[in-house]
Amino acid sequence: MLESKIPEGPLQEKWRNYQLKSQLINPANKKRLKVIVVGSGLAGAGAAATLGEMGYEVLCFCYQDSARRAHSVAAQGGINAAKNYQHDGDSVMRMFYDTLKGGDFRSREANVFRLAELSAPLIDHYVQQGVPFAREYGGVLVNRSFGGVQVQRTFYARGQTGQQLLLAAYSQLYKMKRAKKVRMFPRHEMMDMVIIQGKAKGIIVRDLVSGQLKRFAADAVVLATGGYSRVFRLSTLAIGCNGSAIWKAHKRGAYFAAPSFTQIHPTALPQTSEAQSKLTLMSESLRNDGRIWVPKAKDDPRKANAIPEEERDYYLERRYPSFGNLAPRDIASRAAKERIDAGYGVGRLQNAVYLDFKHAIAHFGLETIQDRYGNLFKMYKKITGVDAYREPMQISPAAHFSMGGLWVDYELMTTIPGLYAIAECNFSDHGANRLGANSLLQASIDGYFILPNTINTYLADALHEDHPSTAHPEFIKVEQEVKAQIKNLLSIKGTKTVDHFHRELGKVMWQSCAMSRNHNGLKKAISEIEHIKAKFWTEVNVTGGDKEMNPELEKALRLADFLELGLLMCTDALQREESCGAHFREEFQTPEGEALRKDEMYSYVSAWEYNAGNFKLHKEPLVFEYAQPTIRSYK
Amino acid sequence: MKVVFKIWRQDSQKHQGGFERYPIEGLTEDMSFLEALDHLNERLVLQNQKTIAYEYDCREGICGQCGIFINGRAHGPHNNITTCQLHMRSFQDGETIVVEPWRATAFPVIKDLVVDRSALDRIIEKGGYISAKTGTAAESNAILIPKDIADKAMDAAACIGCGACVATCKNASAALFTSAKINHLNNLPQGKPEAAQRVLQMTKQMQLENFGNCTFTGACEVECPENISIINIAEMNARRAKAKWLGR
Amino acid sequence: MFFKKSIIALTGLFLCIFLMVHLSANIILLLPKEIARELYNAYSKTLRESPLIQLVAYVLYLSIILHVVYALLITIQNRKAKSKGYAINRYRENSSWTSQNMGLLGVMLLLFIVVHLANFWARVKLGIGEAVGLDVEGRLDIYEVTYGLFQNIYYVLFYSLLMVPLGLHLHHGLKSAFMTLGFYHKKGLRAIAKIALVYASVMTLGFGIIPFVVYFK
Repeated sequence: MLESKIPEGPLQEKWRNYQLKSQLINPANKKRLKVIVVGSGLAGAGAAATLGEMGYEVLCFCYQDSARRAHSVAAQGGINAAKNYQHDGDSVMRMFYDTLKGGDFRSREANVFRLAELSAPLIDHYVQQGVPFAREYGGVLVNRSFGGVQVQRTFYARGQTGQQLLLAAYSQLYKMKRAKKVRMFPRHEMMDMVIIQGKAKGIIVRDLVSGQLKRFAADAVVLATGGYSRVFRLSTLAIGCNGSAIWKAHKRGAYFAAPSFTQIHPTALPQTSEAQSKLTLMSESLRNDGRIWVPKAKDDPRKANAIPEEERDYYLERRYPSFGNLAPRDIASRAAKERIDAGYGVGRLQNAVYLDFKHAIAHFGLETIQDRYGNLFKMYKKITGVDAYREPMQISPAAHFSMGGLWVDYELMTTIPGLYAIAECNFSDHGANRLGANSLLQASIDGYFILPNTINTYLADALHEDHPSTAHPEFIKVEQEVKAQIKNLLSIKGTKTVDHFHRELGKVMWQSCAMSRNHNGLKKAISEIEHIKAKFWTEVNVTGGDKEMNPELEKALRLADFLELGLLMCTDALQREESCGAHFREEFQTPEGEALRKDEMYSYVSAWEYNAGNFKLHKEPLVFEYAQPTIRSYK
Repeated sequence: MKVVFKIWRQDSQKHQGGFERYPIEGLTEDMSFLEALDHLNERLVLQNQKTIAYEYDCREGICGQCGIFINGRAHGPHNNITTCQLHMRSFQDGETIVVEPWRATAFPVIKDLVVDRSALDRIIEKGGYISAKTGTAAESNAILIPKDIADKAMDAAACIGCGACVATCKNASAALFTSAKINHLNNLPQGKPEAAQRVLQMTKQMQLENFGNCTFTGACEVECPENISIINIAEMNARRAKAKWLGR
Repeated sequence: MFFKKSIIALTGLFLCIFLMVHLSANIILLLPKEIARELYNAYSKTLRESPLIQLVAYVLYLSIILHVVYALLITIQNRKAKSKGYAINRYRENSSWTSQNMGLLGVMLLLFIVVHLANFWARVKLGIGEAVGLDVEGRLDIYEVTYGLFQNIYYVLFYSLLMVPLGLHLHHGLKSAFMTLGFYHKKGLRAIAKIALVYASVMTLGFGIIPFVVYFK
């Protein structure tokens, strides 16, 4: 049933073989083909610009006021590439292995290898586009190391790498807009998919300024809509990030893979109050030079600097001596949670751990640390009012990246023909845990290099079909359904706000479906979410109308989908009775508290079919020919 | 903590706007300014009123979507931050806080505190890129870029496009924004081939969008969340003159 | 936009140079009365009779006119760009008052120039008003014109006080002109900022003190 379309041949030859065999389309014919790209982040903008360059007519949508706002902008630390500029033994094969191992052997070998293989040309691509990556005095590119690996393969532009890459992609997008190959629709949010005869043929969008619903038809639809960790409400994501586009696609037939694989980032700022809307991320790169610790004594009332060395517990260095503070994210987060839950947390709400630069400053000098992390320290001070050069930062785990997403094959096509999902909104390369600095990489490669190669195969056939029309009865039907849903939400006129329900959902998800999960907790979570969902549809109050800019309505529509997605996440976490990567089931752990993977039973990708709300599991077995699954040890 | 928000309300571009007063209690000093507005909006929903429209997305100071004129300053009373990085601890208990949208002819008000900044995108569209196609790049280290040049480009490239420079400028000049993008690209070797036409076309678009003249008040660099220096504007002027008169 | 601003900057810089020459000549007025009369009238005669200076004078008139006209044009453009202002604007927290009010300062200076030209230029060049007498050497006694004017305390105050807006205008204008013309050397700009401060102070003090000195002579 699930055909992953992995090409023939040895690992190193697969992508080349694919390209050799893929279909080509005459430039004159490309002009006649239309592609919709939803999302304008690194993947969406990269894909839209590149498809435009290839000659397709591209329509690109984003909910923000400009493509430059997409949340790729917030990635701080960097982007990995197997360039081996540091001559430290890096290679495509090593990067492939690191990524596969980092993902706890829950991803497809062929996809991961392609990710590593295309990483080096990607850096060349960005340099050409004017990304001001950090340089040595001699003019060559600088690298640093990042969590989960022992080589230096991360390229960066201060602490603003995501911003710089996004601005490059955004500028290419506007280059193609100027060339009239891309039409840009900012402040337009996708409301639903239109499937005609089993193929993706268009979308219904809402103009967020006028409130008007609009239909757009195309020969193929690409979703590049990012992650859905806002399901936890408090996350490192932008407030507008949502899972609605992929959820709508899921409900129209696209399978959703590994929905519960959510990365909890170890170095965010702790929550300080109930009213908080977001948890700010501090780049993981800080763990290169910062040391993480908690006091050895419980409820130690002393200030951080007053606690002497011998009374500090550098728990990551203690538990994982070979990786220390650079242990992968899932491990670092869980270790922090373990210490906090055991009563060693610091800060006002005792929900944080220290990240200390004292030793790094003493060793490298203040100036070097300022040069490396200056803007992060500045940001920390803006938010907390604390000077982290003088006293340690307080950090805490926070919901971050969604490894899960729409199931895609090697061509990045979902189970709906003509519907593609790229970057964070798909499940393809990261398995059960993503390595730091691999997110910008996947987004860029999916958008710039892979999709523009694979989409031709589908479009070559689409060329011979009728071009879809927005007057098709299916468009009218779907638009009516969207209209009805909006009308329904506005007519409830209950007594509670959208945010109230989002907070409720977030609490349940954080409690039961985050860093550690168990059978009973997940069972309970499912019934609680059902309850919240029922309450939402009877008690929510959405003020304002549908024919105007109405942020409250936007939030309500997104939350309606999160409530359903939350159910699927818990269902998935409940079904997978093993611990792997970010998915840690308390029942399945070693005596030392490490994750216990069960390869013989769960070495597959869980792809869920919506099935009218009775989620149905399909399995794509994972076959490892080149890397043998080992116990992931960072000790 | 309680404050009184005096907020500009305007239904749409076509409607007339005006200030409304909203006394609000139950705030804490830890709340960000936007969280306080969120809190106010929840109250309004409970009173069956329309919520106030304002912009935000990342809430960590990098996306550039938030931007409100607060108590007479773009992004509020502190220098070099975004609205989302402003916290209630910067205000007095009981204070009246005046909240207005960005004001510039090039930034029409869409609703309440939301303005249309697409003029900035159109400036970028006219050359804020390097026109090399995907798939044509050479090995990165084949171009050596001295650290000081890379750093200088990065200083300018850091612009988040929030529009505070335009909002605070008495002339609504977009010179800081435009110069930042021009200097980012024109300082790098990759940007050199198109340097002259980039500066000419982008500055031309800047004028067509009804932005005003730069008179070097320096307000923009104080409000800029990324601390981009007005020296960039002088550099843009030099680059433009060179492009205009020497053709390079 | 760029052309207009460049014209304002170039004419402004030219006027700055003119003011230096003007002040250095006016220093004569600080000398004892008869020496000052001798030197000042001789200097005036030289100026009037030099064809080069005649040419420069026309450039000067043109500069003032262009400076004013283009400043007016960009002000109109700027107003259009900011069609609605803020209810509250605490611009003093992010910029100097001077930089925000160059137009107002300019209008004050224009008023000054009109009065100044009426007092001297109109009398000497156009022969409007009371005729200018001759000194012992038979030259136009410009010194006497100056001396006579500054016996009136109101003129003394008018001339001296308006040198304050002059200084402010010059202080911002000088640095701004360099940046408008594309001077972007970081250290150079820092030096220009210092020079502008010194220059503006010297102009204000120099021009401002002369009427008093003459008054009390």
